Order: sequence, then C-alpha cells, then structure tokens
Amino acid sequence: MTGWRWFWRLASFVVGVGFIYGWQMIADAKLISPVFLPGPDRAWAALLRGFHSGILEPKLVGTVQRMIIGWLLASLLGIALGTMIGVSPRARKIFGPTLEFLRPLPSSAIIPLAIALFGLSEGMVLGVIGFGALWPMLLSTVHGFGAVEPRLYEVSRALGMSKLSVIWKIALPSSMPDILAGMRLGLTVSLILAVVGEMLTGRDGLGNWILLAARSFRAPDLYAGVILLGLLGYVSAQALAWVESRLLRWRAVAR
Amino acid sequence: MKGARWQGLVFPLGLLLLGEAAFAWSHIQSDSIAAPSAALLAGYDALTDGSMLQATGDTMFAAIAGLSIGGGVGLLLGLVLGTAPVLDRLMEFTIEAVRPIPSVALIPVALLVYGFGYRMEIAVVTFSSTWPVLIMTRSAIAGIEPRLIEVARALRFNFAQRVWKIVLPAALPRIFVGFRLAAGVALIVAVTCEISANPIGLGYGMMMAEQSLHPDLMLAFLVWIGVVGWCWNWTMITAQKRLFGPAALVEPAR
Amino acid sequence: MPQAFAPEQTTTPSAPGGAAPLIAFHDVCLTIAGNEILRDISFEISRGEFVCVVGPSGCGKTTTLRLISGLMHPSSGQVTFEGRPVTGPRQDVAIMFQDYGRALLPWRTAAGNVSLALESLGVPRSERADRIQDLLVKVGLKGQDKRFPNQLSGGMQQRLQIARCLAQNPSVLLMDEPFGALDAMTRQALQDEVLSIVAATGATVFFVTHDLEEAVYLGDRVIGLLPHPGRVAKTVSVDLPRPRDQLSSRETPQFLHLRRELFDFIKEAEA
Repeated sequence: MTGWRWFWRLASFVVGVGFIYGWQMIADAKLISPVFLPGPDRAWAALLRGFHSGILEPKLVGTVQRMIIGWLLASLLGIALGTMIGVSPRARKIFGPTLEFLRPLPSSAIIPLAIALFGLSEGMVLGVIGFGALWPMLLSTVHGFGAVEPRLYEVSRALGMSKLSVIWKIALPSSMPDILAGMRLGLTVSLILAVVGEMLTGRDGLGNWILLAARSFRAPDLYAGVILLGLLGYVSAQALAWVESRLLRWRAVAR
Repeated sequence: MKGARWQGLVFPLGLLLLGEAAFAWSHIQSDSIAAPSAALLAGYDALTDGSMLQATGDTMFAAIAGLSIGGGVGLLLGLVLGTAPVLDRLMEFTIEAVRPIPSVALIPVALLVYGFGYRMEIAVVTFSSTWPVLIMTRSAIAGIEPRLIEVARALRFNFAQRVWKIVLPAALPRIFVGFRLAAGVALIVAVTCEISANPIGLGYGMMMAEQSLHPDLMLAFLVWIGVVGWCWNWTMITAQKRLFGPAALVEPAR
Repeated sequence: MPQAFAPEQTTTPSAPGGAAPLIAFHDVCLTIAGNEILRDISFEISRGEFVCVVGPSGCGKTTTLRLISGLMHPSSGQVTFEGRPVTGPRQDVAIMFQDYGRALLPWRTAAGNVSLALESLGVPRSERADRIQDLLVKVGLKGQDKRFPNQLSGGMQQRLQIARCLAQNPSVLLMDEPFGALDAMTRQALQDEVLSIVAATGATVFFVTHDLEEAVYLGDRVIGLLPHPGRVAKTVSVDLPRPRDQLSSRETPQFLHLRRELFDFIKEAEA
C-alpha cells in the first residue's frame, strides 16, 4: 500500500515539475510578455540573489514574526474570550448576535480605522492581525463549548468537579478539534493580514517588497516573493497540521 | 425567543451610547475618530448623494464577477478531479503547492499585469474563490454513495449522463457549501484589494475618508461594509436553506 | 421461598444490619413540563443491599437513579441519604452510565480516565499512578492503561467506567443499565465482576436494568415499576444464596420461579 502511495506522490511531483517546465517554455517563447511573466529560472535566480545579498532574509523574518506574534496574540485572546462566552449561556445571548454580525466583516476593513488610531506603526499591524485572526478562534471556541457531550457534564457533576476543572478538563479538551480548526484558519488570516499590513504601512517585510517590486516592474523579484509567501503558507499550515495530529491522536486511533 | 433578541442588542447599543457619551462630555475634536452620531450623519449623506452606493456597486461587481469565474473554474476542476481519481492523484502536488499562496500576494502580480481597475481585482478574487469550490466539489463527489454510481452503471449511462443525472444532483448540496464559503471569501478579498491597492469601491472609499481626515465617513464606510457583508452572507445562507433544506447547513471542518 | 409484596408496601425484608435505611424515597413525585414522570414513589434501601429496578420502558427507572444521584430533584416528596435530603451529587456515590461511548473522556487514555476521579478527590499526583494501576488490574484492564477509549471494546470501556467509579471509593454504586449494550458473554463476565467487587467492598448498589434474569441474578431485592406515570408496583426479595454462579444459580427452582414472577408482571404491565 505505502509503495503505491509513494508512487503517486512521485508521479504528482513529476506532474508539478512538468507544469513548471511548461511555464518555462511559455516564458522562453515570450507568449506572454516577460515584463509580466518571467520564467521560473529568472524568479529562482531573483530568489537566490535576494538571499545572497542579505536583502530578503530580514524581510522574511519580519513577515514571519508579525504573522506568528499576531496569531499567538489572537489565539490567546480568542480562546480566552471564547471560553468566557462559551461557559455562560447568558453571555452567549448577550454577545452572540454581535459576534454573528461581525463575523462576515472583512477583517482588512478595520485597517483604515487602525491606521487612523495608531498610525503606520508596528503595533498597528500586530493589532490588525490580532483582531482579524481572533474571530475564527473565538467563534470556534464558543461553538466547541456549545457542543460538549452533555453526559460528560453529568460525569463531572457526579465526580464533584469544580467549575474551573470542568472547563480545564472537560470543556477545553472536548472543544480542542474546533479550536484547532479555528487556529488553522486564523493562521491563514494572520499571513494575509501581515502581508496587507506591510503593503499599506511600508514596514519592512515580504508584502511591502512584492508591492515595490510590482511598482518598479521588477517581475522576477515579485515572483520570487510570491513563491516565498506560498512556501511560508505551506510550511506554517503543515506545522500546525502536525501539531494537530499530535494533540488529536485520540481521534485518529482506531481499534 | 423575543427575550434573546433583546438581550443581543444590549451590548452593541450600550457600546454606541458609551461612545456618544464620551464625545459629548469630553468635546474631543479628533481627526482620527468620530462620535457614532457623526458617523451616522456622514453615512446618511454618502448614501443619499449616491457615492456610497456607487462604491458598493463597484465592489459587488468585482466580487460577483470573480466569484463567477473562480466558482466556475473550481467547479469544473473539482468535477474532473472528483470523477477521475488518477488525475486527482497526479494533480495533488501542484494543488498543494499553489493553494497556500496567500491571495493578497497576488495583488501586486495582478497590479503588474492589469494595472488599476476592475480586471486586477477580479483576477485576485477569481484565484481565491476557486479553492473552496474546488475542494468541496472534489470531496462531495468522493462522498457520493457508491450504490448510486452502480445504479448509473446498471442503467448504462454514458459519462455525461452520469455526471448530469447522478453525480451533480447528489453532490450539489455540498458543492453549494463550497460556493457559499467562496462568496464570503470573494467579498473579503475584493475589499482587501481596494484597501491595499485598487482605487475603486468600498475599501478605497474608506481609505480615502481616512486619509482626508474624515473619521466620520470612514466609520460610516466600516459599518456599511459590515452591513453589506452581513446581507451577502445572509443571502447565501437563505439561498442554501431554500435550495437544499436546513440540513445542508452542516459544514464539515475545513 | 420468594415472596411478592403488594404495591406501596415499603418494608425492607431481610435488610442486613437492620438499622436505619441508607437511602429512602418518601412519596416522591416528579413532573417535568406538564408530564407526570413519577408518582408517589416510596421505598428504602439498606446499607450494603443490592437493589435492582426493572420495568417496561418509560417507567422512570433511570429517573429514580438520577434522583438518588442528585442530578435531578423531585417535584414533591423527598429523597434522603443517611436521613438527610439529597441536594446534589456526592463524592461517595458513583454513577455508571449505560452509554460508555459518551461517558468516558475520549481524549484521555484509560489511565487518564481513572485519574479524573482521583483528581477530583484531590489525591496527590504521586499517589495516583499506583492507584490507577491497582484499579485497572482489579477490573481486568491490566496493560491497557495507555490506550484510548475508542481503542477498547464495549466491554472494556464498561470495565473502565467501573474502575473510574471504584476510584471514588464509593459507598453507593448507581448503575444505569450498565451492560445493556453488551453481548451476552461479556455481560455475564461483568456481572460476576460486579458481584465480587461488591462482596469485597460492601458497597450498596442501585442497579437499573431491563433484563429480568440479570435483576434476579444480581439483586437482594428487585423493585418493579409501572409506567405512565412511573410508580412502584412490585417488590420481590431474592433469597438465592451467595456467592452466586452463572450456571448453578440460574438453574435453581427459586431463580426460575422469580424469573417467572417478574416476567408475568412485565407482561401484565405491557398488556
């Protein structure tokens, strides 16, 4: 079985390489103007040049830092607030409708407000990421708390557990699948808002770099940045998926 | 549940009153923030002189156009990959490599290719709304009761008949879930495009209000974007309920 | 000889010790949202007694158990424990639920699930590991400590619930159709397991079941309830000698007679 799995993995990799080759062919034949579409060779060269010259590394680090710090901030706040709202039916009634109204609001829409209040500062970018990535986690935590098996609450009552240990030992672990799904979504949102934030504030990072590259028609640099951002999205999602599979081991195991 | 509705209003109304009261007592003159009443007035003016509706139209046009193209591409790819497992496996790496690219990273690319305007925004929306439809379509088809496919075989349907008469109807409820998710993403990405680069629509209007030191208008735009987003979302959910019944609202974890 | 008592007769025959009852129902009524669930329930349970409750579905068997546990409260009348009204769950009263799939924490291992009860009792961390091992061995789950509930069979999950109950060192075990969802072989093994545990700890047991043979095999006394609304209709004392045996006890004339008596009662109730 695993042999076949590897075979398909390899085959799909070969297909992916084929696509890149096709991209190279199109670029070489100049079917699309090289101003818009440089070949993968030039994008790759730009990527290497960026790292060798030491320009790209601080930008990558800046974006990663913003994304992670904002995401952690949002996770902490989102889970804490979600817990507070989730444990109390009363709080759910009072805050629920407001949350439902705010959910479809594009989180980037608060950027102008944040700029007005905090200027083009680092704190403003982190604040926007924190605010935007907060929602998936908040909502999924509230949802997870609402979906705890009622029998487990009875078990906790029969055992005479305190309110705090019911939250810590029953409600939070039971909501963990929902919370982790929220954190996964939050991570995607964090990366997006980090990039948008950098574009708007001009703070040093990949978002700003690719926007400047586009404005000055440095297409290879632009594509190098996009590839790097894609890689960042991929690696962060994989890392979280790994953590998730560890934490939710109890779900995967079969008899 | 009249009581519950009423309780839900306590928090936002209280917040608004608090904001209003703070402005009334402190007499703040600010270029960055305005009282709720001022925002309300600015919003009323912008709505009546048509500028806000014009911006809404621009944003919705880009969002809907991108959603249509992206949704179509996603549906087509999803159908193909869902019905042809070999192709699905062969494309796995390519999709895994392209999908994690944050949609906003394509804003500069679209800017380079199309310049300012609708086309650039539509391109970015198209990219980002393709994925939810593609993923849901693929998994919806994979989740079809195998017995139904056997029925189709027994009836000697050809490929087109099979897709049209069995696969699509059976998978449609979940495909629509993907479409609904994509619709939400489309609006968000459209507004984000406008805020960060493209000089049209609601996002740009809000950005302009901020830069020209009109916090009242900026807040009005913010609230309006919230209202538009909520209505858009409501439309999609209602459509889904109407078309497939409330059971279809159950979403699988993404 | 087996004896049948008329309805509403609340004397406790052959109560070991003969002292004041441990648990007593005094004219308990329960009405939920206009539905009368229980009417004028009165009976007593002595310390160390094994009482089984049978009856057709909808007769409020489980509800009486929940009233004793303090998870529910009567609309009128009183449920007392050691002479005082029950106000809420007690640490020395353990509940075993039928739906093992939902009553165990799926994210904790077998050891972790037992640990939950010890944690709530405030047992220090250093003592927990040894006690968990002892309890798991006692219920026949040796070496299963690192497995998750969904890796265990139904019978093993129910054993795990027994271990969690025993971790509370309970003086009373409330068992709500604990073996209803298990296959016959597993069920018999667990019945004997429970009997030997009870014999060793001297715990009082309130056992809800829909299996008449199980009730007779396990209990000192069987209470029959009738539905709509739930009320006590029959009390039968079981004077089969202990320790009991799956083969010989079930073949004795008394056993067959008692089974017949309860069977007739249920048939009459459902007619």
